Amino acid sequence: MEQTTVNNDKNNRFEVLKELLLTDDREEFHRLREKFLESNKKFNSKVSPVVDKKIDELKSSFPEDFGDVITETIKVQIRESQDEVVEALYPILGRLVKKFIIAEITKLTDNINDTINNKFSFNQLIKRLFKDNTNDAKEVLQEVFEAEIEEVFVIGKQTGLLIGSYSRGNIADKDMVSGMLTAIKSFAEDAFSKEGQDLEDIKFETFQLSMANYNSIYIAVATSGVITPAFKEELSEGLNTLAENIFWKREILENEIKLNELIEKILIEKE
Amino acid sequence: MIAKKVLLVGSFGVGKTSLVRRFVLNEFSEDYISTIGVRVSSKVVELDENEIKLMIWDVAGTSKDEKVPKAYFLGASAAMYVFDLSREETYINLSEDLEAIKQLSGLENIVVVGNKKDLLSEEALQELKSTFAVPVNLITSAKENANVEDAFLLLSKQALSK
Ligand SMILES: Nc1nc2c(ncn2[C@@H]2O[C@H](COP(=O)(O)OP(=O)(O)OP(=O)(O)O)[C@@H](O)[C@H]2O)c(=O)[nH]1
Ligand SMILES: [Mg+2]
Repeated sequence: MEQTTVNNDKNNRFEVLKELLLTDDREEFHRLREKFLESNKKFNSKVSPVVDKKIDELKSSFPEDFGDVITETIKVQIRESQDEVVEALYPILGRLVKKFIIAEITKLTDNINDTINNKFSFNQLIKRLFKDNTNDAKEVLQEVFEAEIEEVFVIGKQTGLLIGSYSRGNIADKDMVSGMLTAIKSFAEDAFSKEGQDLEDIKFETFQLSMANYNSIYIAVATSGVITPAFKEELSEGLNTLAENIFWKREILENEIKLNELIEKILIEKE
Repeated sequence: MIAKKVLLVGSFGVGKTSLVRRFVLNEFSEDYISTIGVRVSSKVVELDENEIKLMIWDVAGTSKDEKVPKAYFLGASAAMYVFDLSREETYINLSEDLEAIKQLSGLENIVVVGNKKDLLSEEALQELKSTFAVPVNLITSAKENANVEDAFLLLSKQALSK
């Protein structure tokens, strides 16, 4: 394979990646296609219809007939340029991407036979890298946007009043906070929100509000970041623990400072 | 002061955020920044000598077969369904979509708004109007500030009457 110098100019990295992954394949493909076309021309006058038919057959059997050769080329090429691909992207997205790219490239190499039909399209490749399999993408995203508790609201069912809270202080938008409180209030008033049901979620731009219904209180938590099932489970457990603690010492419902400390101890400090 | 929660729903890109922005800030931008989840803004409106604080929930647009989560409608006093006059796919199922929203929200009346009027000629608009299966309350343009105020006033009226 022709060696490409990795140019770290930002605008170029995308091009570099494209080049690294596809140039040779495209050339190979064009060469083969030229061959077909050439033969087509030669026989055009006399046997054109037959050739046309043959070419159509060839085209449809192309992956089978030539697939192995190309697959081999691509396999080798991808294997060889793995480091360069990573190098080209490394400065932009950092170390997290490395794992992801490597995993994807491994998969690409493994599944190359499946993609033989559309490997010449850059869009397909990008789709494969970033969309088709979301598991690794999710993983990367999660490390970058790790979920965090931003606000906690404890609301008394009888009074509808805020009796305890925690705030990390990141949500500056007043309308959003009052929107959240409206949501909690509506949730509290909703006849259908039965005790023990799953958390009800509302996504406020980049924050997610989860509401849970307990015996005599509602607890709502606003989180930022990407929420994973694991985080959600942990949050749900945390909320249950908090609710239990509150019910063991009911008098805490009358003491906002103590309640706030308890919220922080159970939900925040253990994070 | 009474506070009322109202919702804007409809397909993505029809101009919900632009309508809210025009109404609340009197601004418009050609940029399209798709809303994630919901954006809440507020504005105090005066209606029949009442001051109402409208809490406007601008909900992320939906695509085909996608529903607004029910939790979003809790406590809502009124809702506006916005579609894009220049994109047929945003109003082709108007009556079914409205029915679904009524079901989900428990609201009886939904304000129906066709936006981006500026993209159609007067003739095209007249022709289009005659084809709607459901009465459309207002034809607006967030860009040219046409009927935006009226649309939100109608929404406030419905919110107050509920
Ligand atoms: N010409 C014209 N363009 C408009 C009008 N209203 C909105 N737009 C444009 O349409 C695009 C989408 O507008 P948004 O207000 O973001 O649409 P949205 O319904 O909030 O979209 P989602 O948040 O994705 O659901 C933007 O590029 C706006 O500039 C209008 O009245 N006329
Ligand atoms: Mg929007």
